[in-house]
Amino acid sequence: MKVPLSWLKEYVDIDLSPKEVASLLTFSGTEVEGIQTLGGDFTGVVVGEVLSVSRHPNADRLTVCQVSTGTGDITVVCGAPNVAVGIKVPLATLGVTLPNGLKIKKAKVRGVESFGMLCAEDELGLSDDHKGLMILPPETVTGTPFAEIAGPPETVLELEVTSNRPDCLSMIGMARELAALLGRPLRIPDPVVKEEKRSVESLAAVSIEDAEGCPRYTARVISSVTLAPSPRWMQRRLTAAGVRPINNVVDVTNYVMLECGQPLHAFDYELLEGRKIVVRRAREGEQMSTLDGSARAVDSGMLLIADAARPVAVAGVMGGAGSEIRDVTRTVLLESAFFKPSGIRKTSKRLGLSTESSYRFERGVDLEGVEWASRRAAQLMVELAGGSAAAGVIDCFPCKPARKRIGMRFQRARDLLGVDLADERMVAIFEALGLTVCTKEALRCEVEIPAFRVDLDQEADLIEELSRIHGLDKVPSPAPDSIIIPGADDSAARALLVCREHLVGLGLSEIMNYSFLSEKLLNLVGFGNPGNRILLPNPISADHTVLRDSFIPQMLETLGRNRARQAREAALFELGRVFFKRADGKNGEEDRVCVGLLGPVGRSGIQKTQPVKDEDMYAWIKGLLEEFCRALHVESVRRGGMSRMNLATAPCDHGCFEPGRAVSVSVAGESCGVMGLVSERLRNEWRLVEPVAVMELSLAPLLKQVGRVPVSSSVGAYPGVERDVAMVVEAGVSHEGVLNVVSGVAPQELVGIRLFDVYRGENLGKGRKSLAYSMTYRSLDRTLTDEEANAFHDRVKAALRKELSAEIREGA
Amino acid sequence: MNTQDIVILKDQAVADIRAAGTPADLEAVRIKYLGRKGLLPVIMEGLKDAVPAERPEIGRRANEFKQEVGQALDAAKAALTAASSAATRGHFDTTIPGAWRGLGQLHPVTQVIEEAIRIFSMLGFTVADGPDIETEYYNFDALNTPGDHPSRDTQDTFWLDSGELLRTQTSPVQIRVMESRKPPVRIIAPGRCYRRDTTDATHSANFHQIEGLYVDRKVSMADLKGDITFFAHQMMGPNVKVRFRPHFFPFTEPSVEYDFSCHVCGGVGCRVCKQSGWIEISGAGMVNPKVFSKVGYDPEACTGYAFGMGVERIAMIKFGIEDIRLLYENDIRFLSQFA
Ligand SMILES: [Zn+2]
Repeated sequence: MKVPLSWLKEYVDIDLSPKEVASLLTFSGTEVEGIQTLGGDFTGVVVGEVLSVSRHPNADRLTVCQVSTGTGDITVVCGAPNVAVGIKVPLATLGVTLPNGLKIKKAKVRGVESFGMLCAEDELGLSDDHKGLMILPPETVTGTPFAEIAGPPETVLELEVTSNRPDCLSMIGMARELAALLGRPLRIPDPVVKEEKRSVESLAAVSIEDAEGCPRYTARVISSVTLAPSPRWMQRRLTAAGVRPINNVVDVTNYVMLECGQPLHAFDYELLEGRKIVVRRAREGEQMSTLDGSARAVDSGMLLIADAARPVAVAGVMGGAGSEIRDVTRTVLLESAFFKPSGIRKTSKRLGLSTESSYRFERGVDLEGVEWASRRAAQLMVELAGGSAAAGVIDCFPCKPARKRIGMRFQRARDLLGVDLADERMVAIFEALGLTVCTKEALRCEVEIPAFRVDLDQEADLIEELSRIHGLDKVPSPAPDSIIIPGADDSAARALLVCREHLVGLGLSEIMNYSFLSEKLLNLVGFGNPGNRILLPNPISADHTVLRDSFIPQMLETLGRNRARQAREAALFELGRVFFKRADGKNGEEDRVCVGLLGPVGRSGIQKTQPVKDEDMYAWIKGLLEEFCRALHVESVRRGGMSRMNLATAPCDHGCFEPGRAVSVSVAGESCGVMGLVSERLRNEWRLVEPVAVMELSLAPLLKQVGRVPVSSSVGAYPGVERDVAMVVEAGVSHEGVLNVVSGVAPQELVGIRLFDVYRGENLGKGRKSLAYSMTYRSLDRTLTDEEANAFHDRVKAALRKELSAEIREGA
Repeated sequence: MNTQDIVILKDQAVADIRAAGTPADLEAVRIKYLGRKGLLPVIMEGLKDAVPAERPEIGRRANEFKQEVGQALDAAKAALTAASSAATRGHFDTTIPGAWRGLGQLHPVTQVIEEAIRIFSMLGFTVADGPDIETEYYNFDALNTPGDHPSRDTQDTFWLDSGELLRTQTSPVQIRVMESRKPPVRIIAPGRCYRRDTTDATHSANFHQIEGLYVDRKVSMADLKGDITFFAHQMMGPNVKVRFRPHFFPFTEPSVEYDFSCHVCGGVGCRVCKQSGWIEISGAGMVNPKVFSKVGYDPEACTGYAFGMGVERIAMIKFGIEDIRLLYENDIRFLSQFA
């Protein structure tokens, strides 16, 4: 809301600078978003009269005008579209600096000399309007200093009023705030209407059919008005407050609305069928055309103002086209009413129509102030439009609600704010805000709430008033206490922190993608079950229509984007939530981690230049999985002397992976996710030519043991004995198969097994390969002899021969 | 041969060793003095001709000679070998690029969240959590949001076909926590939130908040001010100032907004703070008694404060990030700056 400071000063004495006022308001809850200065020093700007207009010889859009300055005639080149012979316009003469900084100098404009400038409002700093020249009323005397018309410079505060404070959407409301903050009296005008003998009841009637939607409706009739522009002072105030002046009758309704917050509507009395106002719900299928020229379908949820025959306004939102004030209007029916906020909000929303009026009604206007506003407007219409007001006011107010009363305990206020505030100071603040303190006892007081404060309805609300007006800066800011809450447990959240730290330690960088993405991208990767996805019925764009049920699509997109930006390698992870419909049909979510690898991430230094083979990439992501699981204390199983993590993989043939190069992963017997090399088809989508590995795991199975405390055991004091075995096996024999055979016969003393060579060669025969392992045998209680170690090793070799038909290469 | 001869011989040997420039020279010196037909064996040979009384002394000296010359030869040989090896192995470049698998880094949003958790942990806050897909009850009703409040509009909130919604704030976690335990409560709840904002440099439809809630018998606005100020100093530096302005939120009463003084210019005014010297952080306030009633707390028996802060906003000011979209673009050149 725009508040001209000079207007505020009508109701309260202010001797602070605009900046000080702004700070006072900001720190009492109404944020001042800007301070604007309108107008300025207009020395040298006079009212000019355009005597002639001719086309500029060298420019289509320019004209050359002869302008009278009142003391002589000058030539001015003008670019405005609305220039015309006879108009009176502010003319900036040579040497003037306009409020927008423009200096007026004698200048040749496309070859024609110009001796001044005809001004638009924005050039004069009066508004942002640059549609055309500011045309002054024809009766303005040519040569008058423009300063006499524009008045002194005006300071305008731009306020952001919070939605709970409709009383602040007015000059008097803001003045009341300042009065309370400054401890000064508030001056509210007491309008007196010069009334004629005829009573208003003899001229009009009002009936309310929906008293819930409209608890109060007042009407006055002002006859014999003469429509004309409003006086300068009123036009200036309206303009400064951001409202365009129209004519004296309409301007008065707007002026009073800005003054006290009560929207008013002026009907042309002659156009009201039956001289009657009916406040009723719209009928099904009813149509009406509003002031803005559109035909609107109204429905039974909306409240209308009708005359005896037809609707004449959408109550509280906008007037109708058939009853509006015209140049020839002679008699005005002035409406000042209270409409139920929620009704107006619904209507405004349904019509897609928000006006200054609906904005105030939907927040709540002052039920008690409805008549005051009517009286004030009538007074001004009589004064400014030469009208004659019928005696009295029709005030339909069938059910006057009693004012709310709220009790407040003084100590409670001190405790809640943590500030030492005297009882008397509290009472004074309430009274300064226009609240009535009905009783003040030793420990508490009771406060009566006037209708304009729709936001106050409990003790805490009153305490807020105290903190606002007393000042939050006076609330102390003590050093904090650390307080331990017994039984508090955030181990689940800590586990996620630990996860992230480990992933970073493993060399991965965290990324973050939106929780929603396009269905196209999800389908491209084809992960998850499309039927179980959660769609956004109302997405912000086609790229964000589905909640993700997997991180892999965005991970690939991220790798692709970075590759396109010349990144040679990337090792990324994302940890967060995926969303899906559960088996029971309800929406579910799950914490997951996703890893994506691109380029020589497993190599260091100059070795990075070596090409990355599928085997390399797979080994890296697998190693990463194993290290991650080890860090999270994933459960181990012991077989013989060896301990292995309970991590199992099974082939995974999902289409997003290269065939045979992906596995599903389970941890401690629980299915956990997938890991593998991304298919060439998908890689091509992002022009990724090198191998790319991704892994996506559910966190719950991984985190089960994260808080486990390790129990130490002896590492043994005796040296181990190493024995190697090299063998030729069928190519289909896996490392895992070898481990299973070995651990099946391994004695307690076999404490380590390490694959150190894999070889495929013509000389081995087709479909065969050579594997070489190093085994470590060690006893906890003695040094093993060569003979003992050989015996163990022979047993292992025999099992490999038997189970895998391994051809052991002795002496290798 | 007497003891004097041996001393002279030793001096000669040392001189010869010094003069030797190659391993071959040294070998010649060794043979000359210590070889089977060298000068020392000659001395030993002459021992039997010596006066019996002098024999032990000469023997001792001869042994000494053997040891000392032997050691000198070894030392000279080692020195020669070292020199030659440096020459044959060539220059060692200590400026080659290091080659150790690097560390990754956390996303700046996570870094701010972890830092906030660390700071509030010092005060005894623990982390609480809630779902991203929320019910209207937790996201709005229980937080005293009026039924026709604009924030409930499809314009602002992502509603789902199920009638649920994507939470627009982390505040529903407050309700879930209070429903599940009795006071005292001290929690912070970081998490993702969603609003139908058109994405621009400062708005993102998907963003993060950190909710804080403290409920006890006598919590005051002063406690809120003190704790937020402590947070500001820890997060942004000890010179940062905090100011509080009254505001309006349905779930707190009184409500405030708070600003940090600009840590870039120190409050003088600069580009980051749009010349105001202050940066708006977020909202807070004393828990509305109506919210306590909804969760079954006795509003007479407890008071509390709550705050919510935008994580991206803090990350942007803390790290000088100019456009919120950078945080979701995942350019590794950008992310690697936050190691
Ligand atoms: Zn700054």
